[in-house]
Amino acid sequence: MRLYHVSKSYSAGHFALRDVSIEFARGEFVFLTGPSGAGKTTLLRLIFAAERPSEGQILVLGRNAPRLGPRAVPPLRRRIGVVFQDFKLLPRRTVEENVAMALEVVGAPRREVRAKVFSVLKQLGLQHRRFHHPPSLSGGEQQRVAIARALVNEPDILLADEPTGNLDHELALEIMDLIAGAATRGTTVVVATHDQAIVERYGKRCVRLEGGRIVEDHAAPGGMP
Amino acid sequence: MSRLLARMATLVRSALRGFASSPLTSGVAVVTIAVTLVLVGAFALLVANMESVLVRFGDALRVTAFLEDGLGAEAQQALVASASKLQGVESVSLVSREQALERFRRGVGRGAALLEGLSENPLPASLEISLAPQLRSSEGLARVADAVAQLPGVSDVASGRDWVEGYLRGVALVRGVGTGLAVILALASLLIIANTIRLAVLSRRDELEILSLVGASRSYVAAPFLMEGWLQGVLGGALALAALYAIFRLVLPGLEFGLELVLGGVAPRFFELREGLALVLAGSGLGLFGAAVAVASESRA
Repeated sequence: MRLYHVSKSYSAGHFALRDVSIEFARGEFVFLTGPSGAGKTTLLRLIFAAERPSEGQILVLGRNAPRLGPRAVPPLRRRIGVVFQDFKLLPRRTVEENVAMALEVVGAPRREVRAKVFSVLKQLGLQHRRFHHPPSLSGGEQQRVAIARALVNEPDILLADEPTGNLDHELALEIMDLIAGAATRGTTVVVATHDQAIVERYGKRCVRLEGGRIVEDHAAPGGMP
Repeated sequence: MSRLLARMATLVRSALRGFASSPLTSGVAVVTIAVTLVLVGAFALLVANMESVLVRFGDALRVTAFLEDGLGAEAQQALVASASKLQGVESVSLVSREQALERFRRGVGRGAALLEGLSENPLPASLEISLAPQLRSSEGLARVADAVAQLPGVSDVASGRDWVEGYLRGVALVRGVGTGLAVILALASLLIIANTIRLAVLSRRDELEILSLVGASRSYVAAPFLMEGWLQGVLGGALALAALYAIFRLVLPGLEFGLELVLGGVAPRFFELREGLALVLAGSGLGLFGAAVAVASESRA
């Protein structure tokens, strides 16, 4: 995954990202840090083709993301899991149904969907909650459901935007352990966070953004990942 | 194959979920389609029945050629042969002067006593000419009547052309009003369905965002809404068919006099299976098109 001289501006003269060039290796775990408005979310949205850059090229899984037509974006997104601070779960669907959506869009047979959903929920310790609805779950459990949805397709890339922002410290560590687990299975993981304690605890590569520019890029102590 | 079935099952579930999540708006759309199709169907039935009157009364649609006085039996038979050879003529029968008088006598009933005073038979002999089925129309009558009038020995020709023309004008009027009404109501239905589906799209914004996030294609996102519109159309069409049948069975018998006036005593018929299915198909088409309009306008938004 590579970004070459990427800039993004929403209005003339105001840049959310400015001339950003960065590379993420396969299976790498990277923290994006920086204050609010630094451009962390914009960077993630550019990677999963929710937005197009004003300038520059973005190579994701061998595809030039900004040049993808409307038909080519969905197949790319099926290989990218995304987790948000506000979970983005459907309150009227059960946990199982929320997670199953990621498999149903590719037309996976019902039996395969059930088996894979059960497997990922078990892995995240949520199998007993699969018939519950999100509003009846705690914040930590809801974020685990969102992670389950992002991982059920066994994505090549996992993007997480402030995944622990709504959780207390204990739960935040629990969630980060689950996300970090994905990287050990070969998934490239990029986590945007402003929680410095978490960044320090995991000791991974840390890219700091300020005003839309990369101001620091610390490699993981002792090398990758 | 199993993927396709899984996809279809997901699609139907999603459409039904949408239907169930807003039963009132969906119900209004279904009823609108049904009302539209009941009115359109009623006009279609009326036109079909009026047209069938012409076919059923086809035997009565005949040209009568009155023969000149003094034609001998041989000349009359020669005329029968000539008339039979004319294009569009199905059969020709000769009515002699005596037969004509006898018919007249039977026709006037008790008044026949008045005829006793006649010194001679005033009625001419005539040819009664039946038309081939494909010519049982105003134009057909005119064509055969003109041809018969050219035959030597024919003094006058009478046909039911004026009646047929008047009746056809009536049918055309009913058809015109029905078509106009159908267009207006179909447009109104389309608008209501499009708005229903648009509301459904808006109420499921969150779901659409997540679907897009997990890699759903545009067609995957649009399909449940199209299915929902189609389903509303099918239900509306079926409801209209049922309502029309109920009206036909329960209400129509009470309108005997009006029917007699329009259909001349011919028993009215209901839609054939094929026509009934066409009505439901029209409903499904309305639903699908309305949904397509809504999805297209929302995806541009």
